[in-house]
Amino acid sequence: MVDTYGELNSDKSNAILVCHAFSGSHHAAGKLDNDAKSGWWDELIGPDKAIDTNKFFVVSPNNLGGCFGSTGPISICPENNEVYGKNFPNITVLDWVNSQEMLLSKLGISSWACVLGGSLGGMQALQWTITFPGKVKRAAVIAAAAKASSQNIALNEVGRESIRHDTNFYGGDYLKNDTFPKDGLKTARMLAHITYLSEDNMNKRFGRKIQDIESRVDELVDYEVENYLQYKGNKFSEAFDANTYILMTRAMDGFDPAKDFNNELQEALKNVTAKLLIIGFKSDWLFPPERGKEMQIAAMQSGINSSYLELDGQQGHDSFLFTNERYKKNLEAFLGS
Amino acid sequence: MNNPITDIVKNWIQPSSNIIDFGCGDGSLLKELRDQKQTVGYGIEIDPIGIALCLKKNIPVIEKNIDDGIDEFSECSFDVAIMASSIQCLKEPNVALDKILNLSDKCIVTIPNLGYWRCRLALLLGRMPVTPSLPSSWYGTENIHLCTIKDFEDLCDAEGFIIEDSVHLNKERGKSGFAAIAPNLLSSEGVYLLARK
Repeated sequence: MVDTYGELNSDKSNAILVCHAFSGSHHAAGKLDNDAKSGWWDELIGPDKAIDTNKFFVVSPNNLGGCFGSTGPISICPENNEVYGKNFPNITVLDWVNSQEMLLSKLGISSWACVLGGSLGGMQALQWTITFPGKVKRAAVIAAAAKASSQNIALNEVGRESIRHDTNFYGGDYLKNDTFPKDGLKTARMLAHITYLSEDNMNKRFGRKIQDIESRVDELVDYEVENYLQYKGNKFSEAFDANTYILMTRAMDGFDPAKDFNNELQEALKNVTAKLLIIGFKSDWLFPPERGKEMQIAAMQSGINSSYLELDGQQGHDSFLFTNERYKKNLEAFLGS
Repeated sequence: MNNPITDIVKNWIQPSSNIIDFGCGDGSLLKELRDQKQTVGYGIEIDPIGIALCLKKNIPVIEKNIDDGIDEFSECSFDVAIMASSIQCLKEPNVALDKILNLSDKCIVTIPNLGYWRCRLALLLGRMPVTPSLPSSWYGTENIHLCTIKDFEDLCDAEGFIIEDSVHLNKERGKSGFAAIAPNLLSSEGVYLLARK
């Protein structure tokens, strides 16, 4: 599945690839007919926004292995006409980038003006510059890291454990058993959701406020923050697939382009020709600004035109989703340079 | 940065050099050097407006407060580092210079001269000096390590830095033959090209 916004110009030089994060989809901007919510990067993509669709042709695919339209664990395997489920092959960031490159040639475009994304999307942008140096002119790597940290892997593993131990998981064969591990997936998302927010942001938003009785999701909830997480977890567990959750978190954990280069990122980057803009957010503790700085320094050691910005975003890791004046101005300057 | 210093820096930089500019402002100097000397330059800047202007000029820029130290660059290597306006504002300028010369073959620094006769006169009259090179009042200044030209040259000697070249500026921060006669008394500011022994 792929969404596009804006129009491709006559010399096909204005195409931008937007890579979605862990639970995102191709629906990055605007509202489709029945949507209650706008696309996940609607604050940044659109006419006169940071990624200006009056100027750029924005391409936003759904990643392979996803559960929003692209082939993934909930798809039917043509070989046995059964749902893939747990048998869906492992997938990597490189697989996504390879599939996006097939999309590029299908569109008849020789190179992206820019590839960009936040979080796991930023990892794809970085991989693009390494794997297809001639086919990407700029890359913005936002709220991301050149590899998942031990803490990242640990947090993902708690989520996976919660899914695997749901009695409805059936070793991943839940769809064949006409059920799904809703509770496990919900708990996994509740934990993950905390990692996307900052302590400060949670304090400001919820503090220690008690949830009013009429709007409690159930009688066990006291605080607003509990109610919020319950609500978010429930919603997510009804819309997302558990095998996809495991698959996508594994792809994130496995991302480490330097591992084939003696763990030297600057070696992995030595053929990169794209210009890089690396952005970290001060309140992000999942992929903290230091991870961005490391990437920029490795890029600088490889002589790459690379910049690093540290933005004030208050929303923790999720800051990359929300526009602000500096974020917009600098992205515009980078895309126009 | 005003033009005299830009011209001095340009004179000292070899074509195709790899440069890091600490406190690069809006990236004008790096752009001039890139356009005229085909250099590859990275800027370090804290001011958001300067940073956005660098990106617009296609000058790679790193958002950073130099006061927080430059240890993260220790694995990097440059031909020339430029430190054009702030060495006297750092906590330990001698340590900073040492670190800069670890990651760069040469370093260009400017240093306001407290030995300048106008500064001496101000002090003689019982006032903290305010000159174009030291424009702020005593309570507004970021300068915490002021020194004279002689002091600075002594420091270079003690730390084992060679002064490969230097230019001394007059009151208007212009290049001045007169200031060069007795820089410690007659120049408002020194511009130095340093290397390690």
